[in-house]
Amino acid sequence: MKFAIAVFCAAHAPSSRRALLFARAALAGGHEIVRLFFYQDGVYSASNSVVVPQDEQDIARQWREFVSAHQLDSVVCIAAALRRGVLNEEEATRYQRSAVNLDAPWELSGLGQLHDAAQAADRLICFGGP
Amino acid sequence: MSKSLLVISRQAPWSGPGAREALDIVLAGGAFDLPIGLLFLDDGVFQLAPHQDAKAVQQKDLGANLQALGLFGIDEVFACHHSLAERGLTTPASAQPLDSAAISQLIDRYDQVITL
Amino acid sequence: MSTLHVVSHSPFTDSRLDSCLRICGVNDAILLCGDGAYGLHNAALQTKGVKVFVLAEDMQARNLPLPDWADSVDYPGFVQLSLDYDKVNSWL
Repeated sequence: MKFAIAVFCAAHAPSSRRALLFARAALAGGHEIVRLFFYQDGVYSASNSVVVPQDEQDIARQWREFVSAHQLDSVVCIAAALRRGVLNEEEATRYQRSAVNLDAPWELSGLGQLHDAAQAADRLICFGGP
Repeated sequence: MSKSLLVISRQAPWSGPGAREALDIVLAGGAFDLPIGLLFLDDGVFQLAPHQDAKAVQQKDLGANLQALGLFGIDEVFACHHSLAERGLTTPASAQPLDSAAISQLIDRYDQVITL
Repeated sequence: MSTLHVVSHSPFTDSRLDSCLRICGVNDAILLCGDGAYGLHNAALQTKGVKVFVLAEDMQARNLPLPDWADSVDYPGFVQLSLDYDKVNSWL
């Protein structure tokens, strides 16, 4: 079965870790993830600037590794990202900001990608809140 | 045939970007001619309250976005009757009021749902 | 048609579970996870008559006993639940 997974929360939120563990279980169960879409505070889960103490779970890093290892289509909503100061190199240059805190494997794109994924999937699952 | 999506908007208009970002999902779907429904629930019904003044808190008026729903082909707009009554709001012209049983049936009618 | 509602907010501080119980249908189920697991104390949830699941790790972390009217699931179980029901409605 095909899943579209949307994440609405930052890496430090329990629901981001929950989304990651769900995604891992979905793949382990032989299912497909058509796209991961990060919206609202979910854009923070894609930040490359998160710093976590060594004795804690680095969920942002684990998302990056999971997406790369499985070559998943992973989109961060550009409007939500800009509003929250999560910028890739192109946007940082465009808006003359000094920090680039979004890079591969994440792509910035619009809400059309969320709808496209929802159309392609058997199930749309959202994670957010605590 | 396209899958249908119901967006349930629960945030008050100026509690952060939540109300705006829920509407953005709806309008984006409309722009792609997808079958999208919108239900205002809980504090989300405050988005429909009349004579609000966004400028007083230096915010954008969501009214323009709400008025754009029709232009984007979004005709299925609903409000929870219980939420309206709880908050002392009268039935808005722009949304069809539904009781709890009708909301349950509404959710059943859609293929997917996002509640934010 | 049936919906799996997912609630992760505590019912003691937040109204999402209340609203969910008001609008959920007889064939629906509710999965409690995160602080939503504290909903295992919620009498209204027990009497509503819908199927109740709780994510095992959240019950265990909070040392909450599993009542006989709820079932616990792990992540593979969560994935399966999402397919057993026609759609998933997470109360974000």
